[in-house]
Amino acid sequence: MGKFAYNKEVLANLRIDEKETHLLDRLLDYESARAAHEKKNHAAVDKRLSIQEAIAEYVKPGDILTDTGFAYVRTPIVSYLEIIRQNIKGLQNIGSPATNQSYMTNFGIVTHSHWSYCGAEMRGTDRNMSRNVKAGKTKILSEWSHGSMAQGFKAAQLGLPGVYSKQMLGSDLIKYNPFVKVVENPMKSEKDPCLFIPALYPDVTIIHVHQADMYGNCRIYGPVINDAAIAAAARKVIITAEEIVPPSAMRSDTKNVVIPFQYVDAVVEMPYGALFGSMPGLYYWPRRFWEKMLRYWAYKEGAIDEWYDLVIKGCKDQFDIIDKMLGGSKWMAYAKRLTKAEEYDNEDIGVDFHYKEWTLDDPNPDDLSV
Amino acid sequence: MTENKPANPLEMIAYVLSQQIEDGEIVYIGTGLPMVAGILAKKTHAPNLTLVYESGAQNPISGAMPWSVGGPATWRKSPMILEMSYSFGQMYNGYVDKAFLGYAQIDMYGNVNTHMIGGDFHNYKNRLTGSGGNNDLSSLARHLILVGLQNPQKFVKNLDFMTSVGFLNGGDSRAKAGLVGGGPQAVITSAGVYDFEPETKRMRIKSLHPGVSPELAQLATGFELLKPSGEIPVTPLPTKEIIEILRKEVDPGGVFTSMPS
Repeated sequence: MGKFAYNKEVLANLRIDEKETHLLDRLLDYESARAAHEKKNHAAVDKRLSIQEAIAEYVKPGDILTDTGFAYVRTPIVSYLEIIRQNIKGLQNIGSPATNQSYMTNFGIVTHSHWSYCGAEMRGTDRNMSRNVKAGKTKILSEWSHGSMAQGFKAAQLGLPGVYSKQMLGSDLIKYNPFVKVVENPMKSEKDPCLFIPALYPDVTIIHVHQADMYGNCRIYGPVINDAAIAAAARKVIITAEEIVPPSAMRSDTKNVVIPFQYVDAVVEMPYGALFGSMPGLYYWPRRFWEKMLRYWAYKEGAIDEWYDLVIKGCKDQFDIIDKMLGGSKWMAYAKRLTKAEEYDNEDIGVDFHYKEWTLDDPNPDDLSV
Repeated sequence: MTENKPANPLEMIAYVLSQQIEDGEIVYIGTGLPMVAGILAKKTHAPNLTLVYESGAQNPISGAMPWSVGGPATWRKSPMILEMSYSFGQMYNGYVDKAFLGYAQIDMYGNVNTHMIGGDFHNYKNRLTGSGGNNDLSSLARHLILVGLQNPQKFVKNLDFMTSVGFLNGGDSRAKAGLVGGGPQAVITSAGVYDFEPETKRMRIKSLHPGVSPELAQLATGFELLKPSGEIPVTPLPTKEIIEILRKEVDPGGVFTSMPS
């Protein structure tokens, strides 16, 4: 691996010791990423594993793990729960957004964070993450905007050392990001500051998709966000899929096929793998779950332990979550009805989206079924 | 919510924000009140408006109020959904006319903080969400419209962290930093509408909502607000018809426009 020239002032701002910069190197290390990609079996073979096998084989302590999907849309949250169950410690987390790192910082799973956004919009501030960063349970290694981090992943997918961007300039983000540098546009005769963003190579990514074949060709319906780029960049790629289709299905209908098999190391069949998030075309969020997450489990010190008991100890898989926390088959029908009506694939006249928000004095605090 | 009640402060913000949109424009929408304003504009004076979202959603047909900027309502029957890097890329390339954004803190040059409140990077009172698309929109949009509540904790002299650059240190400092686009065009708050004085790029009162005096607006602000020459206009109120559309068609559940009890 070559050596990287990090800005010393930025390292000091982030309180990253010069002896710790090895924590940063792998995200930029094109050579080892290319070597990892070269070493994969390039033949189209059956890559199916169980989620337990896939996590045990491909997620290692200290890895740089991505958050994929969009915070709580098509995000492989059920797989993150398996990482917590297997107690794989000391991960770095990167993603735009990277909302799901929050609960992983509580149990020593995520100890280093690359930040562009952590939260759930109007549901409330993530006080759990706020407390854990301050307490040093996770250390912030870099600050980004969504778009600039997306450009870093996209550069990797395009096979480029990096890109010149016009984002983040002048802001405090660049004082807290050791991976970017302000440089002059070499083609302009007058001054034209740009931000150089290097290609970003995370160690491992888990991407939840609608359909995969056993080789790893993947179809995604709805927003792809950064996942096609991240799949190309990451050293190890685990696909979890709502359904496994025969390879001929990908050949006869190429629509929305966005990840080619050669990037993929493991394919896991996992219906409802995006819970507690939503899955375009298939199921809506359990909205009260997210409100309880931000307003109760994240709100007060120690409340996340109750979440751990309920979700990690109390549920062995996503079907347990549906049965024990969300109301079983009724929830499945309700969540499908809402998402298909909101997408207007199904008639929406007469479909009631109304629900009561979860509050601290909620009369039914355990009811998370809407 | 009875139909005769006048607009509450959040409805007023949504209405005034919607008035910033002209028909035929492409507007980049952040979460919360910007979603309400965009949809209201489309249902009233700007039917040919195109809404785009940071999740990559492009030009959805009208439907329910989105619960999230990544939700199905933001790409309801969208002809296509762009990847995130392409979605922001269209803004640099000049296809986005306006961007609507929120703030936790804002200063006199329209710079924004969505990172942390109180103290410094390591020892703060509260850490917030971080940039998300906020910095991207501020860096690239042709016209940026900022929206939120106004009080001395939010309208501050010095930001605790500069997530996004408005006019940086005023004058031509934004352009010198290398940023493209016009910077903030307006700030819409619970008290009034503000623009930026063309030379200094300092925040200036454009109009105040009914019942808000310049003294009251200044009391709610941690820096000196510039005033326009002459009388300060009063922000026009929404008509009864528009309030009805807002309550019945745009945000019937009051997700973003009902006042916290």
